[in-house]
Amino acid sequence: MIGAIAGFESRALLRSAQTWIIAAVLAIVFAYLFLQALETYLEVQPQLALQDHPTGLSGFLAVRYLAPLVMVFALIAPLLAMRSFSDEYRQHTMALWQSSPVSMTGLVVGKFLGVALVILLLVMVAGLLPAFMRFYTALDFGVLAASVLGLSLASLMFTAIGLFFSSITKHAIIAVAASVLLLVLLWLLGSAGSADNILTNVLAIFAIPTHLAGFFQGYISTASVAYFVILTVLFISLTIIRLDALRHSG
Amino acid sequence: MTDTVNYLLDADKLSRRLSADAGVYDISIKLQRGDILGLLGLNGAGKSTTLRLLTGTLVPDSGDVRISGDSMREAPLQARRKIGYLPDQPPLYNDMRVESYLRFCAKLRLVAKAEQQSNVEAVLNECDLQSVKKNRIGQLSKGFRQRVGLAQALVHKPHVLLLDEPSNGLDPNQMMGMRNIIKQTGEKQAVIFSTHLLAEAQAVCNRIAVVHKGKLIHEDKVTGDNKQLEDLFTGLSADDTQAASA
Repeated sequence: MIGAIAGFESRALLRSAQTWIIAAVLAIVFAYLFLQALETYLEVQPQLALQDHPTGLSGFLAVRYLAPLVMVFALIAPLLAMRSFSDEYRQHTMALWQSSPVSMTGLVVGKFLGVALVILLLVMVAGLLPAFMRFYTALDFGVLAASVLGLSLASLMFTAIGLFFSSITKHAIIAVAASVLLLVLLWLLGSAGSADNILTNVLAIFAIPTHLAGFFQGYISTASVAYFVILTVLFISLTIIRLDALRHSG
Repeated sequence: MTDTVNYLLDADKLSRRLSADAGVYDISIKLQRGDILGLLGLNGAGKSTTLRLLTGTLVPDSGDVRISGDSMREAPLQARRKIGYLPDQPPLYNDMRVESYLRFCAKLRLVAKAEQQSNVEAVLNECDLQSVKKNRIGQLSKGFRQRVGLAQALVHKPHVLLLDEPSNGLDPNQMMGMRNIIKQTGEKQAVIFSTHLLAEAQAVCNRIAVVHKGKLIHEDKVTGDNKQLEDLFTGLSADDTQAASA
């Protein structure tokens, strides 16, 4: 049943013009950032070569092309998730799910997977561009794979947050605004104040950049993977609680 | 136990308070195969709330509903599998085509794969939707939309069909069509539908229940002589008008 709901959600996204507009804009953004990073690399390569351990193309693209894409997906994921529940409220279609033999857990997980599938497809496209450089030079696929993993995990978390806010309001645009605000907050946590301040350091534990940086240098730390997985599961659970409450609240 | 299994729908003292002056209290309804119950009441009497409680889309404060023996509290998924529900706003996706929407509904209600297509064909015929099955739902007129909503409630052959003001906004012709479908369904299953028109209830139902201020104040078989019911219902309307002007 979860598979059927996920398929329903993916298909609903692919039917909407908005998804394709987002995809088209993303294609331009990917291409622009990628070519720009490539050009910069060619410019600075002579100087890089003088270092003891010069950064290769893979490492350079991971930091200069894939890492900034996290910010792009912080907007795209809530945009794709915003209609998941808001539209159901606006079209009065929740009754269809509520009167069918589907648990709210099944519904939320199904919808999450449906949106996640589309998001991951977009992440794969972004990841493919650097992989194409293989035809011209040797690549460090370890760094690229770690970066794509980091980008994927972060995007899944953004999707869960978008899904949660979508379950709170029937106005899709408010859902996006709330998601992006929360993400900005999570981004900036612990970035103010001096480095030896205890509060700053504690807050930084919960900040997104703290856990993201390693991926783009090719390190996959269990703690960082856990951070994204836990937040994803948390927001999926909150969505389920919210929908169960709906059945009680008239 | 055998007593409960015999009833397709057995609601026992359902209560749900929504606010200080809204809610429904102590609603008990039993339906058997062949019953078509009209839930009659003025606007705001608690008809929709009653239907939402019966379908499990709203959880009661107390009381329980059994659908063919399955409790909405203890086995909600099994119970919901056996109901068909058309809310006052049909739950339609405007960007979907009629046929694929109905096929998805069949899948959602766990109709066996082999039977999905034949069930969809059957409701397309029954609800007279063959001519628009490839159309997008958003392009359909109100009458067609209401029929797609009804088809959605029938596609998994539910034991109990619950309709919230199904003929609202339909023209007289479409209203007749809707009544025929309700009657046909009522022969094999149990149907309960809400309306604020006494005449409509009398035309279709074999039982009528009157809801007023959240309580079931009358429940009886429809007989040839409905003088008593008519008096009761006009009395309620008059009460209401007085209360409003006071």
